[in-house]
Amino acid sequence: MSTELSDDMIVCRCEEVTVREIKEAIHEGARDIVGVKRRTRAGMGLCQGRTCEKLVQQILVQELGIHPKEAGTSSARPPVRPVTFGELAKGEVL
Amino acid sequence: MCKEYDVVVIGAVAIGTSVAYHLAKAGYSTAILERGDVASGSSSHCDAVALICDKLPGIDTKMGQASIDYFAEIADEFEYDFEYVPKGCLYVCETQTEFDAASDYCAKQNADGYALRMVGREELCEMEPHIAKDLAGALYTPESGAIAVSPYKLCFAFIHEGRKYGLECYTYCDITKINLDAKTNQVESIETNYGTIKTKRIVNCAGAWAPFVGKLTGLTIPIEPRKGTNLVSEQTERLCNHKILEYGYMLSKFDSINFKRKVSPLVEEQNIAFNLEYTPSNNLLVGGNRLFRDYDIRSEIETLKAISERALRFFPELADIKCIRAYSGVRPFVIDHLPIVSDVDSIPGYYIAAGHEGDGICFSPVTGRFMEQIISGKPTDFDISKLDFARFS
Repeated sequence: MSTELSDDMIVCRCEEVTVREIKEAIHEGARDIVGVKRRTRAGMGLCQGRTCEKLVQQILVQELGIHPKEAGTSSARPPVRPVTFGELAKGEVL
Repeated sequence: MCKEYDVVVIGAVAIGTSVAYHLAKAGYSTAILERGDVASGSSSHCDAVALICDKLPGIDTKMGQASIDYFAEIADEFEYDFEYVPKGCLYVCETQTEFDAASDYCAKQNADGYALRMVGREELCEMEPHIAKDLAGALYTPESGAIAVSPYKLCFAFIHEGRKYGLECYTYCDITKINLDAKTNQVESIETNYGTIKTKRIVNCAGAWAPFVGKLTGLTIPIEPRKGTNLVSEQTERLCNHKILEYGYMLSKFDSINFKRKVSPLVEEQNIAFNLEYTPSNNLLVGGNRLFRDYDIRSEIETLKAISERALRFFPELADIKCIRAYSGVRPFVIDHLPIVSDVDSIPGYYIAAGHEGDGICFSPVTGRFMEQIISGKPTDFDISKLDFARFS
């Protein structure tokens, strides 16, 4: 990915976070995916960063001049996809 | 280039950022060192409430109330919004036995002047329309004693406000050595990947990791990591109007309380205590438990199952609400359930503010103020000699 992203573009659709907000978070000290997430909520919505994580990574790489690997990933946590508390309690999905 | 500060604070989470803010505000040149990002430790792996009703009567509750009052002041004063919300709390009692035990606790807190009260089943169902209808009642704590904040935004807020007083923040900072004077043991400097930092005073605010910082100067700090887990729901309607805890939470927090709940072996073994809160983003946080698992914060499937099972007992409608994530963190556990907020007799210039277990967010503002008072040689707001490090010697 090397497309130019406009500042008003929404990166995280679940939480409606724009490119500008992500750049501001990086300016405030975020160095990786998790740092951006805590400052902006990007990746905290229903899809848990499935859609936006690569874009956030791209912005981190561009802004900080780092290798994509250094941008890290969001911590892997269950459940892998949303399941109801009812299903969880019964252990049907585990 | 050698940097020099009046005080260096180690650990940029709820306690350290508050301590650093208060010192900078008092006029000390202050640096805060953090091995990762700001708020990357326990304060981003916990829930969001500050309560008086999860404390034992006495200094525990007194500190809680002082801190909750102080939260209201700084929420007003700070430019950075840390999502302060007065909330109110219901400690729900499943059985009459729990209701009686909660009534005793309520009477003790009332005698100390705290405005808690018991509510019966009918009133509970009016206050919480979605709650199970067969509970015995609840202990109610009004908004004056039960608030919520965003725990990680609180850390960012203290750093943001502290910078106005000259606070300097070093993230991704590795400490390799703390140098003491050979004769007096006085703190002299800290060696880091940013170079040597000269200082006569350090404050160890490393939470569950405080023992590792302690070892650098041969100190044994009796803090252990205690794991807690929360589940996050999809954004949903407000299933609850208050912070909800089950009275059995006291069981999972304090081993001195002696009664048994009728729960499944899994809930028992996982040391589950139901709690529920909604967040400003309209997610629900569903918890929780306390387990000793060293520093391993991977989510355990059995814990997810047990928390869900217990949660459905109190809020049956959760059965159709989706869980999108589970996270765990370690709380800095101290055997007597009181934090260490103290100087250290054997090392002049060494201070500790750590070991708050699940009360780090709640006690954050008041701990910062106490540490500034201790370092400045002023009397603390009230007697905190019970928090002295010397109690372990």
